[in-house]
Amino acid sequence: MFDVLITGGRIVDGTGATARHGNVAIRGGRIAAVGDVTGEAARTIDAAGKVVAPGFIDPHTHFDVQLLWDGAARPALEHGLTTIVPGNCSLSLAPLKAADRSRVVGMFQQIEEMPPEAFTEAFEWCWEDFAGYREAVARHLSINVAPLVGHSVIRLWVMGEAAQQRAATSDEIAAMQDLLRACLDAGAVGLSTSFVDIDENGRPVPSRFAQFAELDALCAVLGEWGGRMLQCVPEFYAVDLTIARIDQLAELSLRHGIPTTFSPLFDSTQAPDNAPRAIARVEEQFARGARVWPQMQTRPIDISFSLLRPSLFFARLPRWVRVLRQPLEARLASLTDPETVERMVADLGPDGGERMMGGLVVRGGDAAPQAYVGRTLSEIARERSQLPARALIDISLENGLDVAFLSAAQGHESTERIGPMLAHPLMHIGASDGGAHIASFATYGDTGYLFSEFVRKAGALTLEQAVRKITSETADIWGLKDRGRLQPGKAADVVVFDDRTIGRGEERAVFDLPGEGMRYVRDAVGIDAVLVNGEVAWAGGRYADARSGVFCN
Amino acid sequence: MRDEAVIVGAEIAAGHDGAAELLVTLRYPNGGRAQVAIDAEAGFALMRNCGVSDLSGLEGQPWRRMLEGAETCSMS
Repeated sequence: MFDVLITGGRIVDGTGATARHGNVAIRGGRIAAVGDVTGEAARTIDAAGKVVAPGFIDPHTHFDVQLLWDGAARPALEHGLTTIVPGNCSLSLAPLKAADRSRVVGMFQQIEEMPPEAFTEAFEWCWEDFAGYREAVARHLSINVAPLVGHSVIRLWVMGEAAQQRAATSDEIAAMQDLLRACLDAGAVGLSTSFVDIDENGRPVPSRFAQFAELDALCAVLGEWGGRMLQCVPEFYAVDLTIARIDQLAELSLRHGIPTTFSPLFDSTQAPDNAPRAIARVEEQFARGARVWPQMQTRPIDISFSLLRPSLFFARLPRWVRVLRQPLEARLASLTDPETVERMVADLGPDGGERMMGGLVVRGGDAAPQAYVGRTLSEIARERSQLPARALIDISLENGLDVAFLSAAQGHESTERIGPMLAHPLMHIGASDGGAHIASFATYGDTGYLFSEFVRKAGALTLEQAVRKITSETADIWGLKDRGRLQPGKAADVVVFDDRTIGRGEERAVFDLPGEGMRYVRDAVGIDAVLVNGEVAWAGGRYADARSGVFCN
Repeated sequence: MRDEAVIVGAEIAAGHDGAAELLVTLRYPNGGRAQVAIDAEAGFALMRNCGVSDLSGLEGQPWRRMLEGAETCSMS
């Protein structure tokens, strides 16, 4: 008797093997059999015409806070993700002394854009050490969690205020090593660090004050633990610095026998040599035996702005720059002055901004005019019998300037270039940032987009290659031995999807955070069912009351 | 040729956090080139430091003008 029998699907087992028809049997949270298997089952899932694959793994998220009230990390799970890695970019919620909470909350708010209520109303702080955080999260998990511990919080625990002021002494480094050992013992899968991030006051996060000797000593601990992961955010805004970090990570990898990964790596048609140069350096370092996995996201980058703050979107329009970088009162005065506005519109040329602004989309949000949300400025301007540039100004004024406009796919957008990079054997598909930047854009649906854009549309990867990339390959890189393959004995993390339709829904604003905070999300498309450790966690468009997620390493 | 790097181009680019950034191209005295992306705050500071309100005015400006405000980098 099986617990679950998934019948009649095309099995893509995560190894890269060609899809084959068959059944998947589950018992006791594990894959019991795959292929020509029949028998009684407590629950049968008809997967005829669908793909049955291992659950997807997201190696770069910031769900640390959300997991305290939402064990499914919604909507990540419904997109087929069964394992997530939080704690990236040097920041985790443990170990963290009570006295340092407000400091770290500020850092998280900077990254995640969570409202303050998320930290004061949604859960009770009942931990300081990593084991305590694990216990607080584990009681209601629907998704598996493979957490990193943040270098910045380790530093803060040991050094206090000085963590953001100076290099560590040898005694402090030794204390950090002991603390990291305790975190790994409590279930952390590795360490994250950052050379880029800032706190809410614009100050570098603690990890940025570390000298190489400190990082080297911490990586020695990762080596002691059988080779756990070091994740790092390099200076991704300058490729030469990124390449220098690749070399540094390679040295740490070789010296301590650890895997390393850095994120993000973006492609840019404006700087077309950047990503290929970084990848070439990664190839050189792998040839030496180092493991330095670059993470690249699938989704393109949109530009979003409102007239509340100056945006470089207007940097080629001197008059707009002069008006918009004024203080608010003066800005409003200029934007309501007919003569000034007439000149601003005239600056766009005879089409009144149709070419530059017509494609902008009005986004949802707190003050968004609902009649315009999701529509292009071109369409709205026609309806209002205005030129697009004037419509942009007027709609903004009518709503206290708090209207966000989106210019889609302005970066990392060339499918032709990115497809082969994603398919590269040394490219780690990730960097979704799930759970971060929540008020700026949706970080969900990257896996659906992988299939819709790079498998179906571009043919850059086969179905089997794409599944392998985000299942067994990710599990192997991170040492998650129990995950990523539909093989007898493995954990029964399974996703059933339609490979003809899998994708991501349109971005939309929802107000489902503590304090009715707003975030952008995307719904899943083409996903039929998601099972976590053998239990149905999402099916038929609804979340089940499963609590089968675990901490895994 | 000057004895320090100069800005030879600047384009609007999409930053990973969804904000528009400036992708600034520098040319070094030895002829080498490099690009660096700076966020809106640093970008406007650069334009202000250079006394320009159009990107084309940045060409030929010394790289040092970028330093002010360059500490503010986007979060990952």
